[in-house]
Amino acid sequence: MKFRAKINDVGCLNHFTRVVNTITKLTKACVLRLTVNNVYFVLSGKVANGGVSMWCELLQVNFFDEYQLEGVSADSNEICLEVAPENLSRALKTAQNAKFVKIKLTKKHCPCLTLAAELPSLSSVSRVVTHDIPVDVIPRRLWHDFKEPSMPDFDVSIYLPPLKTMKSVVDRMKNLSNYLVVEANLSGEMNLKIETDLVSVTTHFKNLGNPPWADDASQGGGQSRPVEAMAHARVDIRKLQQFLNGQQVNPSKAMCNIVDQRIVHLILLQEDVSLQYFIPAVA
Amino acid sequence: MDCVSTGGNVKVLAKAIHSLSRIGEELYLEPMEDGLTLRAVNSSRSAFACFMLSPLFFQRYQAPPDQAFHCKMPIKSVQAVFRSLSSLERSVEKCRIQMNSEKSRLTITLHCKHGLLKTHNLSFQDCESLQAVFDKESRGNVLQAQPRLWVDTVLHFPPSLEEVCVSVSGERVWLKNHVEDDADPSRAMMTELCLSSEEFDHFAISSQNSITFCLKELRGLLTFAESSGLPVSMYFDDPGSPVVLSVSDSVLEANFVLATLSEDSHQHSHSNSKAERCKAQPPPDDFMSDDMDSYLIAMETSELAVPSYEPAPHPCSTNHRARLSSTRQEEEEEEEEELLDRPPSKKFCSLFFGSVLPASTQLTSQTTRSQEVLASDSEDEGEKE
Amino acid sequence: MPLSTQSQSESDEYILVASLDNARNLSNILKAISFKDHAIFNATQNGLKVTVEDSKCLQANAFIQADIFQEFTIRQDVIGFQVNLTVLLDCLTIFGGSTVPGVSTALRMCYIGYGYPLTLFLEEAGVVTVCKINTQEPEEPLDFDFCSTNVTNKVILQSDSLKEAFSELDMTSEVLQLTMSPSHPYFRLSTFGNSGNAHYDYPKDSDMMELFQCTKTQKNRYKMSLLKPSTKALGLSCKVSVRTDSRGFLSLQYLVRNDDGQICFVEYYCCPDEEVDEE
Repeated sequence: MKFRAKINDVGCLNHFTRVVNTITKLTKACVLRLTVNNVYFVLSGKVANGGVSMWCELLQVNFFDEYQLEGVSADSNEICLEVAPENLSRALKTAQNAKFVKIKLTKKHCPCLTLAAELPSLSSVSRVVTHDIPVDVIPRRLWHDFKEPSMPDFDVSIYLPPLKTMKSVVDRMKNLSNYLVVEANLSGEMNLKIETDLVSVTTHFKNLGNPPWADDASQGGGQSRPVEAMAHARVDIRKLQQFLNGQQVNPSKAMCNIVDQRIVHLILLQEDVSLQYFIPAVA
Repeated sequence: MDCVSTGGNVKVLAKAIHSLSRIGEELYLEPMEDGLTLRAVNSSRSAFACFMLSPLFFQRYQAPPDQAFHCKMPIKSVQAVFRSLSSLERSVEKCRIQMNSEKSRLTITLHCKHGLLKTHNLSFQDCESLQAVFDKESRGNVLQAQPRLWVDTVLHFPPSLEEVCVSVSGERVWLKNHVEDDADPSRAMMTELCLSSEEFDHFAISSQNSITFCLKELRGLLTFAESSGLPVSMYFDDPGSPVVLSVSDSVLEANFVLATLSEDSHQHSHSNSKAERCKAQPPPDDFMSDDMDSYLIAMETSELAVPSYEPAPHPCSTNHRARLSSTRQEEEEEEEEELLDRPPSKKFCSLFFGSVLPASTQLTSQTTRSQEVLASDSEDEGEKE
Repeated sequence: MPLSTQSQSESDEYILVASLDNARNLSNILKAISFKDHAIFNATQNGLKVTVEDSKCLQANAFIQADIFQEFTIRQDVIGFQVNLTVLLDCLTIFGGSTVPGVSTALRMCYIGYGYPLTLFLEEAGVVTVCKINTQEPEEPLDFDFCSTNVTNKVILQSDSLKEAFSELDMTSEVLQLTMSPSHPYFRLSTFGNSGNAHYDYPKDSDMMELFQCTKTQKNRYKMSLLKPSTKALGLSCKVSVRTDSRGFLSLQYLVRNDDGQICFVEYYCCPDEEVDEE
């Protein structure tokens, strides 16, 4: 089981840093899954996380100039590590103007992901900073927890409004209430609502558009669903706020799938990164 | 005492107060013929800082006739006067400090733009002179660098990190975080930075040592050094004897004396697996030499649900703690109590304080290794930023 | 604009309709008095007056004249209600309260009458938010009986010069002592804290002093905890008028310029804490 990777390009380094920072805002601990072609950050929906789950997928060739992986075995050529993304993010932060950054799996006082960066210096000799980030190696028999979540059988799928607007609205609503209702229909409308003893607030987004999923993606209700009918889910407002606050990836597409009364599934897509976030509905 | 400082020097004075506030709760003031000294010491007496402002620093400087005059006051109240550095820069034209020993009152008057006059009357207590006895010139190792280099170096370590280990060889300096003996080594991120001697303005090493000391005070001095643009020198010897951080120019001198971890605890803390990395050469680029299979085999055969690699045993489990020497005579009672009150927490040693020493010997007295007193590190409740 | 698409009949029900092209013109001035949740709204033909009080010793009023609003329709002589100001401010800034030029939140604020909520329609970049804030019956605001004929001393200062002083006030001091005098020290703020006392003196000929009319030396103390909230108003204003009357009551009037250069006023009244013996 071996892993090493290297980033030379400052653009790739910044991009990777932004992805890691986004993950850091979403969770204290997650699983880093390394395969030959992809790097994944995974959070499986345990009750301890409030039932939230996350799946972030990166195409390794778009980030790393060198990437060598020798997995657990030839037939399971991958590695699963539990890591605190905050450590990774802190390490990357100190490497921001590095000439290159190497990341490798090492055996120190415990298994570590070692990040070494060569930094510019005042002399002919570079400064070298290394961070040993402790990780837990996850045995193969637990891997099934960290497989890609299947697309939920959603009732409505809709493009999200500009995330900055949505963040402002959710931030204020968070001051007023603990829960928020997200509702959307197939004619491009989405509402965010809160209601308390003191106030009720509804923000109406229109003309958002509905993504054209292939037929097999959306079976729930199928084509028979009336376009005006709202699917809705009541969620813990902090979970949604966390998702919007942490967002540093600037996606080319942002979507939301709602399974009526059950789940809000948020998807951010960029050329080489995708982030999926699942927030369970509460009663 | 009556002194006046103007222009940029008001900000320098303010920065000095701010950096002393990182050390201790009280400001010790001592106006003398050859300048004004400002001092602070932390509660466990493992860190001491002193700024000496020469009469030329001031536009006008008049020492009190009574040469043996010392006083102290809560540093927070002085800091409050200089709270906003930006407003100081923007609006303060002149700062006058007057001391009235009869009324036990220190008056700081800020003359601001538009004729605004801010007068702060602070009460103080008489006290003995506070001195640390140290001799930086006799230290075997000296590193001097521009503040930027130090700042960039410290940036790699998290703000929560308390202690840093500095190691030197003939041409390199390593810094790494020091992890508490009782911390879980499998959770802490370890950071190590390697610098070439060429980056330093002055690099003189007579013994290849590693020392471990508190970062907080270094950060405090750096905020001062950075704003004044003055190079910072580090003087040190063996583990256990204090490190001196120093900044000076023609009108001022600042010395921060910090206890370092003693040799035995130092080695203990590194004996687990990463033995003596502090002193070692940088690791070769052995990317593919690390094979994790042994961990995996252990896990795959294990019945446990949790990975079960062996944690390194904690080598230092005794609660055997900091030895800090003090040669203070006539300690104030409350401080005596402070020293005894606290549960010992860490092995910092050998920071010597002399009190009531003649002013002329204050910076050059020899260290004496007698009268060891059990004391502890400050366990300060985080940095108040 | 979606805000104007409301049907006429619905609009007819409202006894109060007030519209603004830029909701910040209301939210900013309300921030200047937001130190307690309960705010008493009082609308007349002249505009809107919002009052917040603390401990029967402090009262803050914000005045937004009718002509600040793009539309101000009122169907009764006087309309009064009480709402939670913190909630109202969150609603008014639902889109973030952007200060970017060209981006602003349009507001239409409507009220049907007693027992109905205060309804806000907010719109920015085509997104509409509807807020219904519950209202209560208004309490009777205190009457400080501060009239200009009884004013003993008055100065007008540029707010910047007081802002610094207020931000540096020693909060360990229970009171802020205000000295106003035709002779030295003219205008002085003093605190008496744990570690000593501090005096801030403003000479009467300072270029920050726009007006100096002190007829008699007065030294009054005001509770620091009561005066501290007025720092918010100071921060938003460009000028402040400080007046004391013969009883030692303090009036602070702030002149606030909004994004469109229009002028609004915020006013604080504060009772003196105790008598100070004249020295």
